[in-house]
Amino acid sequence: MITCTGCSLLCDDIDVVIENHRIKEVRNACRRGAAKLKGCRNRLRPSIDQTPADIDTSIKRAALILKNARSPMLYGWSNSTCEAQSNGIKLAKKLNAIIDDTSSFCQGLLIEKVLKKKFRACSLDDVKNKADVLVYWGSDAQDSQPRHLSRFSYFPRGESRQRGYEEDRIAIAIDVRESNTAKICKGHFYRIPLKGDREFILSLTGALSGKVPKHDAKRILELADIMKKAEFGAIFVGIGLTYSIKDDVDILVALGDMLPNFHILPMVGHYNMRGFNEALFKETGFVNRVRFDSTAVHENKYAIVEALKQKSIDALLVTGSDPLSCLPGSMISYLASIPVICIDPCVTLTSKISKITIPSAVSGIESGGSAVRMDGKVIELSGIVENNYLADTEILSRIMEEL
Amino acid sequence: MGIDVGKFLKSPEFEIAITTYRDIFQVEALEYDRFGEEYRKLSAVIIMSREDMKKMGIKTGDRVKLINDHGSIVVEARESKREEPGGIAFMVNSPWSSALVSDDTGGKGIPEFKNITARISLTKNDISSLENLIFNSGEVEKNER
Ligand code: SF4
Repeated sequence: MITCTGCSLLCDDIDVVIENHRIKEVRNACRRGAAKLKGCRNRLRPSIDQTPADIDTSIKRAALILKNARSPMLYGWSNSTCEAQSNGIKLAKKLNAIIDDTSSFCQGLLIEKVLKKKFRACSLDDVKNKADVLVYWGSDAQDSQPRHLSRFSYFPRGESRQRGYEEDRIAIAIDVRESNTAKICKGHFYRIPLKGDREFILSLTGALSGKVPKHDAKRILELADIMKKAEFGAIFVGIGLTYSIKDDVDILVALGDMLPNFHILPMVGHYNMRGFNEALFKETGFVNRVRFDSTAVHENKYAIVEALKQKSIDALLVTGSDPLSCLPGSMISYLASIPVICIDPCVTLTSKISKITIPSAVSGIESGGSAVRMDGKVIELSGIVENNYLADTEILSRIMEEL
Repeated sequence: MGIDVGKFLKSPEFEIAITTYRDIFQVEALEYDRFGEEYRKLSAVIIMSREDMKKMGIKTGDRVKLINDHGSIVVEARESKREEPGGIAFMVNSPWSSALVSDDTGGKGIPEFKNITARISLTKNDISSLENLIFNSGEVEKNER
């Protein structure tokens, strides 16, 4: 059995058949996981200025760029092992650099609340064993964390939920779009307008305290009733909800406070985003957007999006992410104008504009380590395929040695 | 030599609200080969309600230009297979949708990836290539305005 790093569920019940140093067959994983485990078609090669180079020279040049930069940023980390993340934080300290990760424009806001214990959280194993009301809010788990419903929430039998979805569990979807998850929540899909989450939360909190909602009163009162009667409820917060209430996350804290039997769990995409958030939080008290100087300073200007917009960084090391494939298109030109060091197993959009590329082993498949599941549980990664690549954590150590 | 008058007639433009979502088949294609044809086919698409398409004179398979102050892309239009209330279109999260996302976050660092407004019109231009999105940041199409 090995662990899948396709998403933050880190399913550890995967069987594989290996042939010629590649995973040939995958059993138990979802489509997303199988694709991740079988690996990309285009492996990255070491290069300098888009010209092939040997790995030692690439590493040396990477160190030189970082050393000479006035304001370097180390970014990515959500597809890196905990070991690489902790090395990355060490490197940032050594360089007095800015460090940020993908949670900066993803679920960081909510993970911070979880780590500061502003939400009542629980483990996915608790969900499996106890949960009777499951609310997918702005989250299409079926397409993003595809085994969430089958391993942990709606379908499985649990200690106090012997009859699973047929009788013991209710699944609810609140979303702008009738997602594949919403389709499963038959009769319990609440379609809201774009940016309508805040108003929906207000209607729901009103209904929970006995007020009749102005719109869709019957259905919202019915939802409030289901939630009030829950013995063990969970709200799975997708990025749809997070983006919609990003300026007022406390409204969700307030909803959680009104529902003493409910737990709030942010749905994380990349396999070890939470690992990075926990590591940096432990070190600095912040989950992302930190600049190390004599102390760790957290400011919004250290968010990747702001730093690129304000053109305030002059070198960027990227690992465990492909920012070019997800940042607003208008940021690409500045990103392409500064020296970028890309550490990745595969050719990515970012590697195509990078000054230095350094290929790494695929973490969890070609190199082992650990990662933190979306609910905070530490899961061991396997590293079962023999290969000649350096692990991401080793590459970072080598860069540090060169400084 | 005849003049192709159609070339100078601008297709009508409509305002459109777009939100993004995830699609497991597109994520699968991304894992295998983010430069591949499959990933492009599954990403460079806008899904619309039947009513909206009718109103705008757009049919499944038509190429449409989406443009706003942040970028411009050409993608394929497709009718949603689901009952949609209309007034909102859907794109999977990808470099194509991101080309239309504003980098102005009010200093907070979180762009409105799921809340995009653009103008849509029929076009005969090719679907935007990934290379064009990376190396020209959509500039080529922007200049065509
Ligand atoms: S649900 Fe996530 S971790 Fe589990 S097999 Fe699918 S991609 Fe892998």
